[in-house]
Amino acid sequence: MSAIFLLIALFFCLLVGVPVAVSLGLASITTMLLFADQSLLSLAQRFFHTMQVYPLLAVPFFVLAGTFMTTGGVAKRMIDFANALVGRFQGGLAMAAVLACAFFAAVSGSSPATVVAVGSVMVAGMVSSGYTKPFAAGVICNAGTLGILIPPSIVMVVYGAVTESSIGHLFMAGVVPGILLTLALMATISVIARRQGMPRQPSVSWRVTLRAGREAIWGLLLIVIIMGGIYLGIFTPTEAAAVSAVYAFLIALFVYKDIGLSDVPKVLTDSAKVSTMLMFIIANAYLFAFVLTTEQIPQATSEWLNSLGLPWWGFLLVLNILLLAAGNFMDPTSVVLILTPIVFPIAIEMGIDPIHLGVIMVLNMEIGLVSPPVGLNLFVTAGVADMTMEQVIRAALPWLMVLLSVLMIVTYVPSISLALPAWLGWGNG
Amino acid sequence: MALALAFMTIITFIQVVLRYVFGTGLVWSLEATTYTFAWLVLIGMSYGVRTRAHIAVDLFSNRLPFGARRAMGVTVSGLCLLYCGFMVYGSTMFIDGLFSLGNNARDIPLPRWLLIGIMPIAFLLLAFRFLQAMRRMLARDDKDQILKKVPVSTAIGQERKIKIVKSR
Repeated sequence: MSAIFLLIALFFCLLVGVPVAVSLGLASITTMLLFADQSLLSLAQRFFHTMQVYPLLAVPFFVLAGTFMTTGGVAKRMIDFANALVGRFQGGLAMAAVLACAFFAAVSGSSPATVVAVGSVMVAGMVSSGYTKPFAAGVICNAGTLGILIPPSIVMVVYGAVTESSIGHLFMAGVVPGILLTLALMATISVIARRQGMPRQPSVSWRVTLRAGREAIWGLLLIVIIMGGIYLGIFTPTEAAAVSAVYAFLIALFVYKDIGLSDVPKVLTDSAKVSTMLMFIIANAYLFAFVLTTEQIPQATSEWLNSLGLPWWGFLLVLNILLLAAGNFMDPTSVVLILTPIVFPIAIEMGIDPIHLGVIMVLNMEIGLVSPPVGLNLFVTAGVADMTMEQVIRAALPWLMVLLSVLMIVTYVPSISLALPAWLGWGNG
Repeated sequence: MALALAFMTIITFIQVVLRYVFGTGLVWSLEATTYTFAWLVLIGMSYGVRTRAHIAVDLFSNRLPFGARRAMGVTVSGLCLLYCGFMVYGSTMFIDGLFSLGNNARDIPLPRWLLIGIMPIAFLLLAFRFLQAMRRMLARDDKDQILKKVPVSTAIGQERKIKIVKSR
């Protein structure tokens, strides 16, 4: 009874357009007041404590590091480097765009930011070297989703905090699927390019490549610091995030010299705004999760699923469909926050690795970002490429197939996600 | 807000440096960071309403005629106000309990009720912003362009989109 009320209240609020954070909070509070003897006091207490969950502190720091890196000309340098590496092949510029997205994803934890940073340069560049605009927009739109899969990823931090899984472990698990997706996109481009005779860039000497690499290395070192630092146990993910924010600040200001000291307050305010908004949702989502647990809703769902006799692969299929559907209507962080408390206990009972589940969720969210009607990357690409939503949706659709096939492979071959962390000695789980 | 974020980042960074270079640490740094973050978020909530940063599903409201949209807008603000009311009440009781206990935070020499006291105030501020939004919504007429325009669904997207349009 309480479960039905909770979900109806939540969906009603979401549908009439109440902000996601307030929807979660209001649905949880009213359910608590009507069906459980929890007081408002204990809910307020919970709300405050969520904001003091230590792993979640990584969110504002990663946002800050990403903003410093986006403001600067980091994207330009990564594009140059990617171009020097793969531009010589047929369809090279498009491949370079994908590679640049992957590089950039490694310094920013957000997909739309990746699309804006790489797309604003690359779409025009590809069109002027003879690619069609829909092709260029489709490539960028989809490659931009790498932002939340390749660490640092804010969605992964949130998932890790909610499920109390290791964030470092999740980051490691995102690396191989991220590379796989990058290669899949590049391979598809290569096939299309051969068939349609797309242009190649003049090949460049190794000296030029090296110089471009040296320029880009300062940005790429960020990911090395984060991953290396966490892996070697030098610092916690939260501290890694703070260190990377300071590092990004130093690089943007003193090495690349793209921004001046006077830009810093604006970068700080922007980041504070984004992290506040995320945190407001997260704090309310914790209330929601709290209600779910006290009302034993995941257990009930789990029992019901068991009675259906669904095998683990069937469950994963249903999960993928559910996540894709939800991802079409909401942003990644909200979906992860709403669905994780429900599906996580069930998945664990089915023997699915929590880290693997995290990677599956993130991949699904990537696809949600590029599928209509409210895929955020579609909006951003429409803005960057100066196209209408319909055009972008049509342009992005063929590439969606590539993402979907990678999702299927990653879902059913857990070792793609889990091999790297296991090999590094972190075991399973 | 900018200062709060800078403070948190620097404190945490210094903590790492102290640990590895000098082998010491600041006892109060963790607590200072988490409390600063809480304050940042609580104050930022109402700023978010003012700058329209909060994410909502606007898929359906975009397709409605003007009158229905306005009614919806008012309902939404009403529901948000209800939420604020609950939170103000709950957090006031929370503070009240802490006040009568009167104990200090673990590592910072300040009473806990003072540190958490921002919470009811923040939710009152939030309520004030929602009230403003509701009044704006009621005051709008048919010709209002803002209400007709298709809003973009999330904060980051919204902001960047505006920037891109402007720069063109």
